Amino acid sequence: MITLHDYELSGNCYKIRLMLGFLGVGYTTRHVDFYPGLEHRSEAFRAINPLAQLPVLDHDGFVIRDAQAILTYLASTFDKGGSWGFGTSPRRDGEIAQWLAFAGELTGSIGAARLHDAFLFELDADAARRRGRELLRILDAHLWFQEREAHGWLASGENASIADIACFPYVMLSEDADLSREECPSVRRWLDRFKRIDGFRVMSGVFPTR
Amino acid sequence: MALTDDQKRGWHPVASSTDLAPRHVFHGRLWGQELACWRADDGHVNVWVNRCLHRGVRLTIGRNLGHELLCQYHGWRYANRSAGCTYIPAHPADAPARTVCSHVYPSLERHGLVWVALDGDAGNAVIADIPAGGTLLRQMSVAVAHDTVRRALEAGGAAGCSPFHFRDEARALTLFLQPVDAGVTVIRGILDAGADADIARLRALDHEFAMLRDRLEREHPDVPQPIAAEFRPVSEELAKVPERRRRGSTRRMRVERKWCVAPDVMAFRLVPIDGPLAAFQPGAHVDVHLPNGLVRQYSITNGPDDTTGLVIGVKRETDGRGGSAALHDTVQEGDVLALSEPRNNFPLRRDQLHTRLIAGGIGLTPLLSMARTLRLSGVSFELHVFARSREGLPFADELKALGGAVHVHTGLDAEASSAAFARILADQGEKEELYVCGPPAMLDTVRGTAAGAGWQDDQIHFEYFANERKLDRSGSFTVALARSAVTVEVPSGRSIVEVLREHDIDIPTSCEKGACGTCRVDVIEGEIDHQDVWLSDAEKAANRCMMACVSRGRGRIVLDL
Amino acid sequence: MNDPVILHQWHVVGIDEELKAGAVKATRLLDRRLGLKRDAGGALSAECDDGHPLPLLARYGFLWTTLGTPERPLFDIREADEPDRVNVVTGSVAVRTSAPRCIENFLDMGHFPFVHTGLLGEEPHTEVKEYDVRIDEEKDEVIATDCRFYQPRAAAASAGGADIEYIYRVPHPYCAVLYKSCPFDRGRFDVIAMFAQPMSEEHTFAHTLMSVVDDTSSTTDIRHFQLSIFGQDKPILENQLPRRLPLDPRAETPIRADRSSIFYRRWLRAKNVAYGTLAQAG
Repeated sequence: MITLHDYELSGNCYKIRLMLGFLGVGYTTRHVDFYPGLEHRSEAFRAINPLAQLPVLDHDGFVIRDAQAILTYLASTFDKGGSWGFGTSPRRDGEIAQWLAFAGELTGSIGAARLHDAFLFELDADAARRRGRELLRILDAHLWFQEREAHGWLASGENASIADIACFPYVMLSEDADLSREECPSVRRWLDRFKRIDGFRVMSGVFPTR
Repeated sequence: MALTDDQKRGWHPVASSTDLAPRHVFHGRLWGQELACWRADDGHVNVWVNRCLHRGVRLTIGRNLGHELLCQYHGWRYANRSAGCTYIPAHPADAPARTVCSHVYPSLERHGLVWVALDGDAGNAVIADIPAGGTLLRQMSVAVAHDTVRRALEAGGAAGCSPFHFRDEARALTLFLQPVDAGVTVIRGILDAGADADIARLRALDHEFAMLRDRLEREHPDVPQPIAAEFRPVSEELAKVPERRRRGSTRRMRVERKWCVAPDVMAFRLVPIDGPLAAFQPGAHVDVHLPNGLVRQYSITNGPDDTTGLVIGVKRETDGRGGSAALHDTVQEGDVLALSEPRNNFPLRRDQLHTRLIAGGIGLTPLLSMARTLRLSGVSFELHVFARSREGLPFADELKALGGAVHVHTGLDAEASSAAFARILADQGEKEELYVCGPPAMLDTVRGTAAGAGWQDDQIHFEYFANERKLDRSGSFTVALARSAVTVEVPSGRSIVEVLREHDIDIPTSCEKGACGTCRVDVIEGEIDHQDVWLSDAEKAANRCMMACVSRGRGRIVLDL
Repeated sequence: MNDPVILHQWHVVGIDEELKAGAVKATRLLDRRLGLKRDAGGALSAECDDGHPLPLLARYGFLWTTLGTPERPLFDIREADEPDRVNVVTGSVAVRTSAPRCIENFLDMGHFPFVHTGLLGEEPHTEVKEYDVRIDEEKDEVIATDCRFYQPRAAAASAGGADIEYIYRVPHPYCAVLYKSCPFDRGRFDVIAMFAQPMSEEHTFAHTLMSVVDDTSSTTDIRHFQLSIFGQDKPILENQLPRRLPLDPRAETPIRADRSSIFYRRWLRAKNVAYGTLAQAG
């Protein structure tokens, strides 16, 4: 049985809900009162994840944390021989790992600025926003060339990978951090493409394209 | 900072043609004015003010449905080309006032770019001529004023052909600057045809421009204040609730095609001579002004995905006054006719779980438009068409395209037809509506059968082609207009509409026979002698509205005018 | 800030339970910075950035202050005091728009199927049926009654779809209270309130309160439901232009379904509320 320790407005939790939706894998949710309850900092929750972070996945007693790690685990477990995760080619594996790391950077910049702007968390939002903007520009350039050289996904290949899933939420939620995507038309098209993948589901604040 | 006239007149690229991907809405900006740009499935490029008329939400967070753009906030839909609102889901039984229309900027595609002038004329667009066949670079957005970019390009060896157009011979590049806002500029480069344009070259140039961007933004951190977005006030009429209809002016349209769709039915495709077609909704009709001076109403058969020309079907009426004969015999392809703006007295709800459509003969025309709309909206429906024979069935090809939802019933006598109606109207499910159009006798039968099968008055919608009741124009009465503070006498033999026109009070009309619903007015008090076929029996009994063209008052009545 | 109407109001400035004994908390109100304080003995006080002491009171689970001298006490929500209700502070979200835009959206039903799909509405059930709106001169409130809308999931605890009845009240230019027919107890209403804290004219901290007759849902479930709802409104509100609420009827295109909003705008105009609004369309 799979249990997801989840918070609806968390972009990192959304990555896991997206992945489970694409794979068609059933799961149960345990809502964690991240805000305003700050339950993730409670002693009880730190027994599950000492880093006091969401999401956490429990698969038949195997407990794993960190959104990118969970995506990797789910792809290896439920998409054997498929193209969501590693194993298609060494080059593509490298690309996926590279963009998974980029997703971590998005959390640290856009995700942080969003916590500051929407929930008034105290942190250096201007620095986070500047970094977020740099990352969006890098992503836009990459996707413009991917539209010409490959199939418009972050890694090469015909299909989206867990790298796309890992990067989607905080890019989609960038306006929550006062980062407009107007100057990034390739990013906007990639978001639309991603939303059209079968099994796509929304989160609060994200609307479908069909 | 406010927008200047010079800024409004200039033509600038706002997107590349490939930016307008299928079913995508591109977010653009020119001189601080936000643009919603989208390509419809028929290839047409729409550039609109990026704001829904209803509550000001950006249309770029909406959905490109292929033939309409849907606002994410309340689901208002705007038509390809005309930008007219075609549907307001909060009021599914109403037709939107045809004047609810988003602002369209003139635009055209050239050199692989989409060009816009905020206050321009697409026919007289001044756009730099450059050789065809070049390769577009990735756009580079720089958060500095366009003058700053201009100076940097010139310092780098590019020659200015205009403040927004440059030639860089060394790199075989043409460059256009898009003034996004006072402090934001997009550089759009085109590599000459025949120049080396492989991916490595494109990457190298992209890197060069990215470095230029970073340098300029570092050196010029203080940018001018943004240009204020212009908010256009809506018309007085739209600011009021509810909207009142006004008599529309006519529009000249050319007969592009005339063809036979049944032995006695001709179809006409009419295209506007200038500008786009006005928005229309399923169920709408137009008044066609004929060469012999007659005015006739015809339903529009188009689905929402065909917005370049109107298709109407005209049956030859042998005992008519010559309207259909004029269209059949006199009007030819290439002729020009005057048409009213589309008007809708037969609006289609799209908030039902299932919709049944029943057509008799040429009564198919409005229902064809409805069926096409329901199909594209993904709403469940069935269309029953009654005709004398297979050969006499109009628009057979168009019906075939609608697939299994269409059921054709041919050669049935009155008794067999009644039995068929009873079968079609049985087993009513949850949230269903019924739309009927055809000869008066058929409509009366269907309405009776539906009432017997438990359909409520407000679930049944019908359109009569004619009012065959004998009108009683005897008796005089007094009409008081509550809002205009005018009281008039309507003598025997004259109608309310005619008498009020003499007092410069114009009630919009169409058929003037009590069949179309255009001249509906609200009644505040008094007893009404209803003579139309448009209102339902319940509406007539409620006495809250009347058809001013044929119905009359008894004694004194007060109207909300 | 030269809007006396808004200056002399009580405004929400924080969540009661977040300010612990002995703690100080900074916040913003009407372009000013404020410090909120609860001393070790539990007494509340507040201070403006110019050193002026401000009153601070706790009501409905939130903290309230004023920069002026209000003529009237804070409006009443008497249901919140009923003993068998659960009062849940469902959280606060900052939105880049004006407080009146937040309130107007809170009064609107037509967006339910498109913005709160599957929760508060669902296509094809899109119709906004006729309802009544009036301005209660004595209480100085906008009141909309007999509002009904189809909802696939009417509260955190209900599973099926039904027509739900609503009553809306606007007792304060920046606060609105919604009464919603209760799935557990016919004839009673769940209460949901939106208190908008105007940090600046175009930046609002939107606080929500739910007072429910529900013995099955946990606080976490209720918060999760309400935050999901407001999380869906946020991108709409932040993409609405202009950010200040236009009071000129020609600025936008109202329809019959918007009668609450028309009355709310008219009421603000009659009061001469300028902060967070626009008088002219163009």
